[in-house]
Amino acid sequence: MSLMDSLAAGFALVGNIEAFLMLFIGLTVGVIAGAIPGLSATMAVALTLPFTFAMTPINAILLLLGVYKGGIFGGSIPAILIKTPGTPASSATILDGHPMAERGEAGRALGMALYASCTADAVSNLALILFAGWLASFALNFGPPEFFALILFSLTIIAGVSGESLLRGALSALAGLLLATIGLDLVYGTNRFTLGNPNMMGGLNFIAVLIGLFAIPEIISMAWNPVAHLGKTRALGKSRCTWADYKNSFKSIIRGSMIGVFLGSIPGIGAAPSAFLSYSEARRTSKNKDNFGKGEIEGVAASEAGNNGVAGATLIPLLALGVPGDVITAIIIGAFMVHGLQPGPMMFILNVDIIYGLFIGLIVSSVFLLLVGSVAIRGFRFVADVPKRILMPGVLILCIYGVFAVNNNIFDVGVMFVMGWVGYIMMRNRIPAAPFLIAFILGPLLEDNFRQSMLMSGSDPSILFRGPITWFFWFLTFVTVFAITRSTLRKKVPLS
Amino acid sequence: MSQKSLHLRLGIVASLFALFLVFYAIPTYVFSPSNVGNIILSPKFWPYVLAGFTAIIGLGLLFNAVTSATDTPFEDEETGHPEGSAPWMRLGALGVIMVLVMVGLPLLGMVWTAMLAFAACAFLFRTRHPVAALVCAVIVPLLLYAFFAHVAGVAIPQGEFVRLP
Repeated sequence: MSLMDSLAAGFALVGNIEAFLMLFIGLTVGVIAGAIPGLSATMAVALTLPFTFAMTPINAILLLLGVYKGGIFGGSIPAILIKTPGTPASSATILDGHPMAERGEAGRALGMALYASCTADAVSNLALILFAGWLASFALNFGPPEFFALILFSLTIIAGVSGESLLRGALSALAGLLLATIGLDLVYGTNRFTLGNPNMMGGLNFIAVLIGLFAIPEIISMAWNPVAHLGKTRALGKSRCTWADYKNSFKSIIRGSMIGVFLGSIPGIGAAPSAFLSYSEARRTSKNKDNFGKGEIEGVAASEAGNNGVAGATLIPLLALGVPGDVITAIIIGAFMVHGLQPGPMMFILNVDIIYGLFIGLIVSSVFLLLVGSVAIRGFRFVADVPKRILMPGVLILCIYGVFAVNNNIFDVGVMFVMGWVGYIMMRNRIPAAPFLIAFILGPLLEDNFRQSMLMSGSDPSILFRGPITWFFWFLTFVTVFAITRSTLRKKVPLS
Repeated sequence: MSQKSLHLRLGIVASLFALFLVFYAIPTYVFSPSNVGNIILSPKFWPYVLAGFTAIIGLGLLFNAVTSATDTPFEDEETGHPEGSAPWMRLGALGVIMVLVMVGLPLLGMVWTAMLAFAACAFLFRTRHPVAALVCAVIVPLLLYAFFAHVAGVAIPQGEFVRLP
């Protein structure tokens, strides 16, 4: 079947109002779910899955993909407005988005988040269409040593989000890595720091740690000084994201999209590391690098481009190899199977109409996201006008519901409170929270792949340098560490 | 506070924490099967590596504090800190509210506990809109309950006294 035939078959499948309506509904549900902390995109996709059983396969998959894409963008709304990321992928958006909201530029930050998300989404979809086969075969070459080298390189992001002191950032990251060791051992299944509590055997819940670290310290700060916010502009203001803003950030948006596409095509990495890596690269190369972390619009653009760039690319291993890139695509694979489809190379032969139908739907989804996102921003941005001393108790209650909802476990609420106090102590001691979170995400992946490599090689460390992919990432790591060291020394502030 | 004093404090805490990990926490709370011959594959290996790095960073912070020539306070240090014991009292009260939430969730249920916690926090933060705060304290938990219980299908704790539909 030629490309034109395949496209025609795809159009025949999705060229009806029902398919586009499903996509639109999915995006709307996703944005709303993403904007509610605790109700992550994963949960929203999982909750939507049963509703698709009676649908045609293409409508079902488009609905789920809409929820997925909407959820990733929706998470940025509370991240900017109330410093509580709706999804883990939006954690990096807090760094500059919330300071902008505090300055009365919430509208501008939300606008940039939307435009960067839509651009990255479009780039990601194009990458999926053009490079699905090639990138999938590249990702197939990744074994534990390659993953270890990649994740080690990803940890250099910490330097970019450490703020004023690399040492304090490193201390924060080590605390995150240590916290990630709690739970059953990955290889032997023995207890590590579980203190005999069965709730801790699966490790600490990521959402509880995330919300505890970012949202609860704000509430505790409010208790310390309830009038600290008075005199600061918090209202939404009339600021909007302008064409000049978009143009100035365009390079970071495209770079972030590419990073998202690359990391998204590798199974198991996810959107949060991509957002942080994109943010770090934007900060490193920006002429406004000193403003990063203080409300720089380019930081919002880079973070959102990084996490949305993953959305289309995670479908590359799913469609081409039948390998889920993350939890959400694992659920979507379930939806494929429920409808009698088996993702993988054979699908490109047996169900080429569905493949091209999905491609067309995905391209349209970027436009729909722009529409749905614009309306959502107008709806949710009034949160910025709520008096802070009423908003903060509301945020606390929302966090309690949201964190409980993840696992139906009250213990997670306790973890959130404890992490909140940890985050507050860190904040008072000027220890950045972002490195902690990055390390907490990447820590288990790093250890898991290191130990798998050692098991494969009989503890021979040379396996970590076994081929061109590992050499490439080791080279990148050394270059980045060298650049960080040189830039630190040039500032004449030795390692601080 | 200056960077010198902050790094001195953090350096001491990090170094002591690393010692605590190496000599007490890891041997006591990390279990390794007796048949693991190679330390690299042991469940204790990674925590020991991290403890080692923590010690190095701690020493780095101490070195930085000791060799730092200037002792000037941070430029953007928050000014206008509330004086006296009131802030500490409020922090303590918020801590008590959090503990009571943990106790109240299985006993009273999430909705009633959330209502009480909302009202308590609003008054702790000395809201200028007490009536609006009370109205929100009732409405917000109910709306969240309706959404999570009936739309998202989450089994919200109902407590032992008043159960909601």
